[in-house]
Amino acid sequence: MGDRMRSSLGRQLAAICGPRHVLERPAELLVYTADGLPGYRKRPSLAVFPGTRDETVAVIRHLAREGVPFVPRGAGTGLSGGALADDVVLLGLHRMRRVLAIDVENRMAVVEPGVVNASLSRAAAPFGLHYAPDPSSQAACTIGGNVAENAGGPHCLKYGVTLNHVLAVTAALPDGEVITLGSAEGEREGYDLAGVFVGSEGCFGVALDVTVRLTRNPQAVRTMLADFTSLDAAARTVSAIVALGIVPAALEMMDTGTIRAVEASIFAAGYPIDAAAVLLIELDGFRVGLDRDVERVAALCRAGGARTLRVASDETERARLWQGRKKAFGAMGRISSHLVVQDAVVPRTRLPEILAEVGRIAQAHGVHVCNVFHAGDGNLHPNIAYDGTDADERARVFAAMREIMRACVAAGGSVTGEHGIGLDKLEYMSLVFSDDSLDAMCRLRDVFDPERRANPGKVVPTRSCREWAGTPAARGAG
Amino acid sequence: MTTPEAVTLPEVPRLVATRGADVQDAVRDAHARREPLRIAGAGTWLHAGRPVAADTTLDLSRLSGIVEYVPGDLTLTARAGTSLAEIDDTVRANGQWLPLDAFGTTAGTLGATLATASAGPLAASIGLPRDVALGIAFVTGDGRLVRGGGRVVKNVAGFDLVRLAVGAWGTLGIIVEATVRLRARPETDRTLAMALPADRTALTTCLRRVREAEAAPVAAELVGASLAPRLGLDEGADWLLVRLAGNSEAVGAQEEALARGRHVHEVAPDVWQRLRATDPAEGLVVRLSQRPGELARLWTAAQRLEAAGGARHATLERGVVRAWVPMPDEDVIAAFLAELGAADARIFERLPPAWWPRLAPAPADPLARALRRAFDPAAVLNRGILGASEEQAG
Repeated sequence: MGDRMRSSLGRQLAAICGPRHVLERPAELLVYTADGLPGYRKRPSLAVFPGTRDETVAVIRHLAREGVPFVPRGAGTGLSGGALADDVVLLGLHRMRRVLAIDVENRMAVVEPGVVNASLSRAAAPFGLHYAPDPSSQAACTIGGNVAENAGGPHCLKYGVTLNHVLAVTAALPDGEVITLGSAEGEREGYDLAGVFVGSEGCFGVALDVTVRLTRNPQAVRTMLADFTSLDAAARTVSAIVALGIVPAALEMMDTGTIRAVEASIFAAGYPIDAAAVLLIELDGFRVGLDRDVERVAALCRAGGARTLRVASDETERARLWQGRKKAFGAMGRISSHLVVQDAVVPRTRLPEILAEVGRIAQAHGVHVCNVFHAGDGNLHPNIAYDGTDADERARVFAAMREIMRACVAAGGSVTGEHGIGLDKLEYMSLVFSDDSLDAMCRLRDVFDPERRANPGKVVPTRSCREWAGTPAARGAG
Repeated sequence: MTTPEAVTLPEVPRLVATRGADVQDAVRDAHARREPLRIAGAGTWLHAGRPVAADTTLDLSRLSGIVEYVPGDLTLTARAGTSLAEIDDTVRANGQWLPLDAFGTTAGTLGATLATASAGPLAASIGLPRDVALGIAFVTGDGRLVRGGGRVVKNVAGFDLVRLAVGAWGTLGIIVEATVRLRARPETDRTLAMALPADRTALTTCLRRVREAEAAPVAAELVGASLAPRLGLDEGADWLLVRLAGNSEAVGAQEEALARGRHVHEVAPDVWQRLRATDPAEGLVVRLSQRPGELARLWTAAQRLEAAGGARHATLERGVVRAWVPMPDEDVIAAFLAELGAADARIFERLPPAWWPRLAPAPADPLARALRRAFDPAAVLNRGILGASEEQAG
């Protein structure tokens, strides 16, 4: 896209959204060249920030008329490079941040895509309700972004991921057509298009409003910390808890590297720094009977070799225990300028062996892996802090990560549990999916976006999208 | 049209698949010849009255068996033709269960349950097929084997082919294998029954109080008076069955909360199997749904079908009323439909075949038609099963 055309496009978009809400100068665009995952930099050709639903639809229709590709973006907290725009238009939706309705009786809410995850729960709090999916970035990330990524979070172990909480989406397709997917008013016959849209990483269109399920607050919550002198013992304890049949609200693990990073930061949570691993376990539910479940889990921890067990005595202590976990990635920022985070998932019985394997791989490549992850789901987040200006270190880090991903796939796992494929994991897709499966994903994308203008180049490697003869791919054809 | 016609299965050639490759061969051949296939699992849905236009039936009932089961992972992978009963028997030994409890027989297969997204009382809490399915393998209408999802409990790799296949009635691909999430059997699993008021206003209040009570039932199902005797309940009233599961103290506390100001009594846990087994083999079955707060209104509307020799039950937190009449009468159905609001969702699960053209779903939207074309270009898979509109797909 040449400069002359770009400024003309900028003028046209400014006519829709107002000149303040269209950025074109490189210095202004700097903040939009990265998302939550350091290591990738892509500069958009321009950035546009519609403030209303009508403006958003008008922008998308204008881009469709001009044939211009675009990347939808919420708060830019994603961890897969999915919200990066490489010399195409960045469509920022964070100004659309109204909670449109809270239906207390039916426990649902209708929100605009730019509503921040935690602020929805705050809005629902007076009614004893909350929005259950709670990514660690929940203080900043948006519901629109959560829908695009099918975001998870610690409490998804018990309550389910974003998909399980989305009832309906009003979406603008990349050609500007506005459609409703799913239904908040009863169950419709036909394909589960809302289910397909959730997790489509901005490739199928832009959510204009989302109807989500709200969850009743539990009567009581117990949060405990168990610390172990070996990573293996902690991992085996996780498997034992899962098999027990009590579903904790959350079951998180942090290893020694993470514990030390957290304790050295402003997010210090009082984790024992000489532990090889800690489990942060939360149980919630009815007040009566909860302490017996806590005792059963505690007994498993002790039997598994836990050195100490600490149950948060009040809300302050509970919040502090969680703060260390939720801000762990932030704490890593103190160690090095760059951080690579992976998001592989393994069957939960394979956790002990895969953690040992991750340790071996790190040692072989001379890198230092920290583990902080959703152990109850088998969702690993191995991360490596490194100096991005050191080419040798960078190469070793990425070689180690590739090997870790291969090991997780070989254990029957997946390459991403909640962060999405984006740009970062494109190379791993063919480890998990056959050519025919990748081709099916391309066919699905083409139904929503035959021109492949929405978030181009993400999720499915382009070479997988072969043409198939005799099939009109475009919607409405035939 | 006042009586249903006798339903007879068309005598058509059957292809029996025992391996996934058989399905691929059959579909490739059908695709090449442009000759549609009817897809059948245990065959329990063949009477649903959906007029599939096919000269050949592809029988998946022998494409069965459990492929992988690791109890500690609480996941199980099975071929499509495996019956729900077989899965349940297998996992029960490890104190686990598969929370798919669609109405009808447990001879139904995993593949068909997912393909039709059939759900039962547990769907309101843990048993909606789209949420239970973790991974899926299916054969597209041009004979390609496609896999989506995987064997882990959390997975966002790639576009969601699992949700695409679940509920598509086989029209985007024939499910040949699936991985599902299991649950550990709860320590305590008790079911309470309470009689419901007949008056709609009183019922609205009653249901609201139950929903607001300090309880989180795994199932809460209304059953009409006509079903009551088959469930061991008094037929003088409609009933609410509430299933509480978890640790015994927590179940006890919920029981107390529900019993406050109401008379409840415990019923044997097999009431749920008995309820599933009441499903009719013929006639008309309709599913109405709205926001859960509207349930009393839909429930009252369905009373007309119960009075015409039928039955009704409803899933509270899901806002779904299911009603049926074995011998539907045109005037009764017309009056029943006239009572519904335009926004009330209605799905006919089963119809006398001759009624299908009139009550078939509204024409598919362009997106749905494009999906069909993309995944089954020659419309050979269960052609007609989603209504007359999708014939255009061919």
